[in-house]
Amino acid sequence: MNITFTHEQMALQREVRDYMSILMTDTMREEMKDPEHFEGGGPEFRRLMKKMGKDGWIALSWPKEYGGREATPIEQYIFTEEVMKAGFPYPFLTTEAIGPVLADHGNEMVKKKVVQGILDGEVVIAIGYSEPDAGTDLASLKTRATQQANGNWLINGQKIWTSLANFSDYIWVAARTDQDAAKPHKGISMFLVPADNPGFSHTAIHTLGVRTNATYYQDLELSDEWRVGEINKGWGLITGQLNRERLSLVNHGPVYQLYQEVAEWAAANKNSGGEQLLNKAWVRGNLAKVKTGLQALRLICLKQAWAMGEGTLTMEQASAAKVYGTEFFVEAYRLLLEILGHNGLIQADSPGAILKGKLEHRYRVGSILTFGGGCNEVQREIIAGAGLWMPRGR
Amino acid sequence: MNFSYDENQLEIKQLADKIFSELANDERQKLVDASGSRFDPELWQQLAESGLLGIAIDDSYGGMGFNFESLCLLIEEAGRYVAPVPAIHNLVSAAMPIQRYANDAIKEQYLGPIANGKTLVTATLANDNSLNAIQNSNGDWIIDGHISCVPYAVYAQAVLLSATSEQGLVILLVELNADSKTLTLVEQQSTACEPWSQLHLQQHPIAAENIIASGDKAAECQAWAQQLTIAAQCAMATGLSDKMLRMTAAYTSQREQFGRPVATFQAVGQRAADGFIDIECLRLCTQEAISLLSHSVDNSNQSVINEAVTIANIWCGDICHRLSQSSQHLHGGIGVDRDYPLHRYCLWAKQLELSLGSSASSLEQLGDQIAAEFA
Ligand SMILES: Cc1cc2nc3c(=O)[nH]c(=O)nc-3n(C[C@H](O)[C@H](O)[C@H](O)COP(=O)(O)OP(=O)(O)OC[C@H]3O[C@@H](n4cnc5c(N)ncnc54)[C@H](O)[C@@H]3O)c2cc1C
Repeated sequence: MNITFTHEQMALQREVRDYMSILMTDTMREEMKDPEHFEGGGPEFRRLMKKMGKDGWIALSWPKEYGGREATPIEQYIFTEEVMKAGFPYPFLTTEAIGPVLADHGNEMVKKKVVQGILDGEVVIAIGYSEPDAGTDLASLKTRATQQANGNWLINGQKIWTSLANFSDYIWVAARTDQDAAKPHKGISMFLVPADNPGFSHTAIHTLGVRTNATYYQDLELSDEWRVGEINKGWGLITGQLNRERLSLVNHGPVYQLYQEVAEWAAANKNSGGEQLLNKAWVRGNLAKVKTGLQALRLICLKQAWAMGEGTLTMEQASAAKVYGTEFFVEAYRLLLEILGHNGLIQADSPGAILKGKLEHRYRVGSILTFGGGCNEVQREIIAGAGLWMPRGR
Repeated sequence: MNFSYDENQLEIKQLADKIFSELANDERQKLVDASGSRFDPELWQQLAESGLLGIAIDDSYGGMGFNFESLCLLIEEAGRYVAPVPAIHNLVSAAMPIQRYANDAIKEQYLGPIANGKTLVTATLANDNSLNAIQNSNGDWIIDGHISCVPYAVYAQAVLLSATSEQGLVILLVELNADSKTLTLVEQQSTACEPWSQLHLQQHPIAAENIIASGDKAAECQAWAQQLTIAAQCAMATGLSDKMLRMTAAYTSQREQFGRPVATFQAVGQRAADGFIDIECLRLCTQEAISLLSHSVDNSNQSVINEAVTIANIWCGDICHRLSQSSQHLHGGIGVDRDYPLHRYCLWAKQLELSLGSSASSLEQLGDQIAAEFA
């Protein structure tokens, strides 16, 4: 056992770090201040994505036939960490979750247009899974796709929380194609809906931390070439990439960076009584708790990435990382925000904001991940079942 | 980066598992418990004959010459069975510092017999400053004071101790089998029934050869031995907690109430899953600490090691507590019944939780380290 990076891995880390420090422009930071563009979609975001595509970064983990570098999962984890630390709203779900599915299951047209577009940094895809009545129980989704006599599909339904749909080029839509399937998840198929299809529309949903969308599919007519994978076999495409997706959700890098920034801030600032904050026992205690949790998160993530590379990643490991990481984030934001105190609540653009209001914003988005990406209760059921062989209820 | 064990290490793990499953199973441990003292000399002898006591002892002294990481695999298995043997005290806290710091005569005298199970050496290396040492004009030493909780002292031939002196800290080996008027052992009952003693030393003479280290070297030796001991305890806690959780999962899967296995209640499964996550955290932080301690050749990454060991100890205390309480809770009454094996695990978990620093004190230590880094 040797839990340290190889020289090559360290070199990659420096390479990405240097690259991102140049890539992340002031214009990009300015653009992100607009809530509409906080998760990307503005002109500078588009320009920088194309640059990353041209410089070969988007294809990092992709096979050589796509011009990729075939990075291992550990290398991809390192890349993710550095990109997240730089604060660039890189569309990981497009490049790491949907992209590979399209490459595996898409037809030649989809590969040429969409997959190549993703790798060139020109295509962003929104995910249309959740519906008003289908959240955790995704398989109960009602959006319906019916094949017409001419082979085209007619899609009707509503999706909710379709993030990025306000600027994305396609929506990756799960729709019911067999109303009578023996089990609900056996009647679902996957479609790529071009955002300029006239049957598609969206309205804004403003959440505490980010803007997202309700999306509508009204008599939306779609040629069969936009169906991906076999009819009624869509569920496997949804779940196939989940482990990989979950790992990028809980990357430890951004919280590690916040921890360092708060510790530096506590070393440079005093409380109202004139005492240096870093000298206070409770401040040290909070930092120590965050560091203790971070160490575990870092190792959990690295071990997972390693296991992925070895082909030995188990379901319970992936679920354990998701639960631990998302709940630790919430706890870490609290412990760090306690150190900043009341003034830590000043929003980013207001005078007096601490650390550019980052923690204030992190607090507002913190809760999403514990129920999103497969709610933690269900993850715990997976752990109890697959990891501990405990029988399930129901 | 590599999270797997090599073939030799996997063999050690298998061999340990085999011996413990034969000689540290519930039936046998009931006999050991009935004897009033949790030490099983026959099991110890079996471990010696299989070579496992010499894993980390140099081959020149009859050991296998593997590293600390390999030794910790034996210790994790000992935890999985709460084996009634002094694996950590003897093989880590005593043998490792003797091997690294003692003079050749002492090494010759003790390391071989430790590896072949003929001799047991114990250790108490907490920094409690309760022993005082004075050097005579002839170079020998006189020790005064008393310490508590010396494990296995009644079975050991010698104990490794630290004492304060005018020359600074000294680490010394005190022989226990001598029929001495200046040394008394008083047995103590501990929660986990590990044989403990109070050791009283009154003007007790120690030959100069038995001084293992003094001054700066002694402080270094003590800190190193403590770190190894903490890391080994964390390995033991990993095996122990993992087994508690597996027992809980198995028990709740067959125990029925309200007409169905209690494991099928969502709250039960969720709590067990939390245990699984906890153990994963403990295991990985422990492996990090052990791997750093095993592979570091110089002191260049001392602060990284200090931090990793402290963090592992924090997890150890928290997880020992959480897993033992949730296991008892999910078992219900049988979890506290002395006829069912879980109770041994829980008592041992409590001991590991508080040995060489609780979670709370380790957190303070880590906070101070962080403050020093950022100040
Ligand atoms: C900001 C934001 C962005 C999002 N982006 C996207 C996106 O891009 N694409 C997309 O498709 N979706 C997206 N989502 C939706 C997200 O995936 C869902 O919120 C999630 O699946 C949970 O569904 P729900 O909100 O309907 O909660 P529900 O399913 O109603 O669950 C609520 C709570 O009930 C409990 N619960 C539910 N089921 C169980 C169970 N089996 N056992 C025990 N407890 C249970 C849990 O505590 C859960 O948190 C986004 C959501 C938000 C807030």
